[in-house]
Amino acid sequence: MNFAHLGFLLFSLAGMIILDARHKLFFFHAPLRAAVVTVTGVAFFLLWDIAGIVHGIFLHGASDLDTGILLGPEMPLEEVVFLTFLCYLTMNLVALVERLLEWLQNRPERQSVPTARSDSDRSANAGGDVS
Amino acid sequence: MTYWELIVIFCALAALPLALLVGSGTRHGKRKVTTVVVVLAILVVLTVIFDSLIIAAGFVEYGEATLSGIMLWKAPIEDLSYVVAGALLLPALWWALRRPGHVWGQVTTWFATSRPISWVNTAYPFAAAYFLATGRVDDVLVIGTLFFLIPYNLMMYGINDVFDYESDLRNPRKGGVEGALVDRSQHRGILVASVLISLPFVLYLLISGDLAAGIVMAVSLFAVVAYSLEGLRFKEIPFLDSATSATHFVSPMVYGLVIAGVPWSWSMMAVTCAFFLWGMASQAFGAVQDVEADRAGGLSSIATVLGARSTVWVAAGMYLAAGILLLFTAWPTRVAALFVLPYVANLVPFLRIHDAACETANLGWKRFLWINYVVGFAVTMLLIYSRVTA
Repeated sequence: MNFAHLGFLLFSLAGMIILDARHKLFFFHAPLRAAVVTVTGVAFFLLWDIAGIVHGIFLHGASDLDTGILLGPEMPLEEVVFLTFLCYLTMNLVALVERLLEWLQNRPERQSVPTARSDSDRSANAGGDVS
Repeated sequence: MTYWELIVIFCALAALPLALLVGSGTRHGKRKVTTVVVVLAILVVLTVIFDSLIIAAGFVEYGEATLSGIMLWKAPIEDLSYVVAGALLLPALWWALRRPGHVWGQVTTWFATSRPISWVNTAYPFAAAYFLATGRVDDVLVIGTLFFLIPYNLMMYGINDVFDYESDLRNPRKGGVEGALVDRSQHRGILVASVLISLPFVLYLLISGDLAAGIVMAVSLFAVVAYSLEGLRFKEIPFLDSATSATHFVSPMVYGLVIAGVPWSWSMMAVTCAFFLWGMASQAFGAVQDVEADRAGGLSSIATVLGARSTVWVAAGMYLAAGILLLFTAWPTRVAALFVLPYVANLVPFLRIHDAACETANLGWKRFLWINYVVGFAVTMLLIYSRVTA
């Protein structure tokens, strides 16, 4: 049994959890919703794996660095951990990018508010001058 | 099936929720799409780097024969497919679940639009034809049956409901099992859903079948669209309305036979023609109850042109012709000639119907829906018998 591959994946997954906990991105933002998304995502990828395995396209082949634990024919334990990690990474990125885009979109609006006010002040002054 | 065909089908499936979300007019749709694109770009770069490192370190081994051989550094291009699918699927689910009540509302609207009571009418002809021809339960049978069960009906009735909205408003019969009247605000979502949900299935079936099967699929989908789409509106062209409607039910069966690759016999031709006549007759009789409503709404159909009584006679004639055709098929299929009799009997009370009383034919239409289940059961028994004795 070799835990190199699994250990590497769990280490990466831990990184995702820490990032999530620090910035409240996914599970730390809406736990139930995150769970549904993750389970659906992993199930979707597993279905894809199974379709590939059934058609003889995917041959994962046990590597020397794997634990050797198989959840099914050609389906190492590492695959499920990897798919979970991939879903977590994707959703952490989605939350971060969404926040970034929101911030970029709101920033010029905040700047334009005082500008607009000073413009209207100016026109009010101009009106005052005419009268 | 090859790796790339698998990728196309699963990516189409993965893109479905996002396309439905954006297509049905979600809030901040543009920002959501931008988010997905940016995430996708980051993930692709990360995948190329880390996949290459993992492969270089020897964590993963590949059956190289199945890959295209296109490499991004040390990563096979196929490895990007999971990342692409994940970036399309997961955020869409995440956003959709933010308003689960809204999503549930949309799903139930689509469900009602697809007329669950009619699902079996299109799925069964396909499944029975394919299974009888091949004797196998395989991917094509399962995916094809699912397609003709739900997405096909959602497309057919979805397009129909949206383009019939104005005339349906004036028809008090619509809004229950026989026709779901949906609010104008839902129209865009229904059209998007009807096309997109079918897409992964159609892709799979096109990849699995040969050219002939592809042509049958094209005819079938054309009939579905042309029946009610603005500009074609085959349902308003007398006789073409009945023929198009018959195609809706016969083409799944023909598709099942063609994708199974069985040679055509005279018996099969006769069964197909008989089924087509049954479909035309049923559509024509179904139009009788709407003669007055259609005329008031400025719509035409086989029944508004011929009048209620003549249409009933024509329908009865077509049912009988179907029965006569079936007499020329091989034993035990010949027994099916008897199955047209309940349909003819159902029309007898309406042989002297007047246009003004056309709505009384609705009673016959309701009975027709039940006869379908009973005769469908009889057809199944006959199929099993012929399968066992063959």
